[in-house]
Amino acid sequence: MAPVTPPLLQRAALWRAASLGLWALVMLYSSVDGRLDLLLRAVFHPLVALAGLLLLLVALLQLRLAFGPGRQERGDRRQARTLLLTAAIALLVLLLPPAPSFADLAGQRPRDETAESELSFVLPPAQRSLTDWVRLLRSQPDPKLFAGDPVRISGFVLPMEGEPPQLARLLVRCCLADASPVGLPVHWPAGQAPFPADQWLAIDGVMGLGPAPGGGERLEVVPSRIRPIPRPARPLEP
Amino acid sequence: MILTRLATAWALFQGLLIEALPFLLIGVLISAGARWFAPGGRWLRRLPSHPLLGPLTGAALGFALPACECGNVPVARRMLSGGAPLGAGLGFLFAAPVLNPIVIASTWAAFPDQPWLLLARPLGAVLVAVALALLLGLVPEALLLQADLLAERRLHQPLAAVGLLERSSGLVGAPPASALSAEVAPVRPPLAELMKHASQEFLYLALLLVMGSVIAALVQSFVPRSWLLAVGGAPTLSILALMLLALVVSVCSSVDAFLALSFAAQVTPGALLAFLLLGPVIDLKLVSLLGLLFRPRGLVLTTAGAALMVLLIGQWVNLWRL
Repeated sequence: MAPVTPPLLQRAALWRAASLGLWALVMLYSSVDGRLDLLLRAVFHPLVALAGLLLLLVALLQLRLAFGPGRQERGDRRQARTLLLTAAIALLVLLLPPAPSFADLAGQRPRDETAESELSFVLPPAQRSLTDWVRLLRSQPDPKLFAGDPVRISGFVLPMEGEPPQLARLLVRCCLADASPVGLPVHWPAGQAPFPADQWLAIDGVMGLGPAPGGGERLEVVPSRIRPIPRPARPLEP
Repeated sequence: MILTRLATAWALFQGLLIEALPFLLIGVLISAGARWFAPGGRWLRRLPSHPLLGPLTGAALGFALPACECGNVPVARRMLSGGAPLGAGLGFLFAAPVLNPIVIASTWAAFPDQPWLLLARPLGAVLVAVALALLLGLVPEALLLQADLLAERRLHQPLAAVGLLERSSGLVGAPPASALSAEVAPVRPPLAELMKHASQEFLYLALLLVMGSVIAALVQSFVPRSWLLAVGGAPTLSILALMLLALVVSVCSSVDAFLALSFAAQVTPGALLAFLLLGPVIDLKLVSLLGLLFRPRGLVLTTAGAALMVLLIGQWVNLWRL
């Protein structure tokens, strides 16, 4: 008896093509809608796009198989479940873009303690990012060296326990899962209504000396101008 | 508050998933490539089955696969289903995520001033892999491996390698077709068949990865990480804390050295090494993937054995370096 060819919609190859296509869509759409800048370090971005393209290629090959002349396999229950789950996940990922709270994430993580072992090249003060400043201060612990230097930085407001909020950034080595915060204390102007956590700010000012919580002195940013800004397109720093 | 945290967990989930999927795809493609270039996988069965040489050979194969632990699972599954000696397959599964050029290079890039780590990490990984292979080798395969993997594996093993009671074919049970299949010349699978197999494998593993990433993301957002590192300088506690962190964080072995860099100054050297050794063997994201190979008993043994070995190595390093 010749095997019965299942109707088109029940062919396993078509289901596989659909599931793979959905995963390819997740990867490719993530690569173009800017969310990778929020989730992954930049070196991984091409890898994601490439994987998306490869998956799309395999999906197209499966689609060709589904319409081809060869013997057709009928999709079973496990394949149906895979297809349904993939579709549900893909739909959720596509419809609900990530909106993490950096302050919430940073609040639970230990500070980044990386110190530049040797600074071969130091940018002029006004061009240093928040991360550059934090690393520089860690490798040169004498606060008086930098007092009076001009500062132009941006970051998000990170509430601190027992002291005023800091301006912070997240450092990411791989993906958001390994993000660790770095922050600079800010001498907030008197009478300034407190900014909410997660608010992104651009601050112009100078470095000044202030009291450290444990006694002694530490450097803090003394702002001359504070501007709320939208979250930058690439909020994570390597 | 809870909504903010859930939103953060959702972003962590997407980060973990999207970062791991390309590596999973690489692993599946390598596994498919092996089926294409060496149909029947006769070379797999020629790997040494010596209790020590087997795992060492498997571990050394890691140099041929520049992928991290997610990509490793499909390849190890392919090895085991192709009839490779258990020790060699397990040695590969557990050591290859560390013993590959990319991971060694990234460890060196992260810790150029700590040459001991560059030697201790691969050595430790081999030790852990050999110990786990010896430990899991004590359990009969039928109790250790998942049923479908075991069935595929039996097809490729010479009949003599399987105990009489473990056979479902041959002299006892079903017709001996499977016993003969190992003898006939292997046929290269048609490309369509190969694609079908790889697609199914990828889809299945991707869903397992989703599950693992969901758990890892939830645990990460609801368990504050700071208290794990609070134990800092205590020799034993810091090792245990960092082992727990490695289980929770679930980042790939190719990048975990850079993550370790961020807290290396706060913890003991033994704890640092423990973090770099345990993560590639087992973590929350991997549990569901490893469930494709092992029965629950195997998973528990793997976790317990790896934890014990890593703790011992960490302690020893602390005695030596502190």
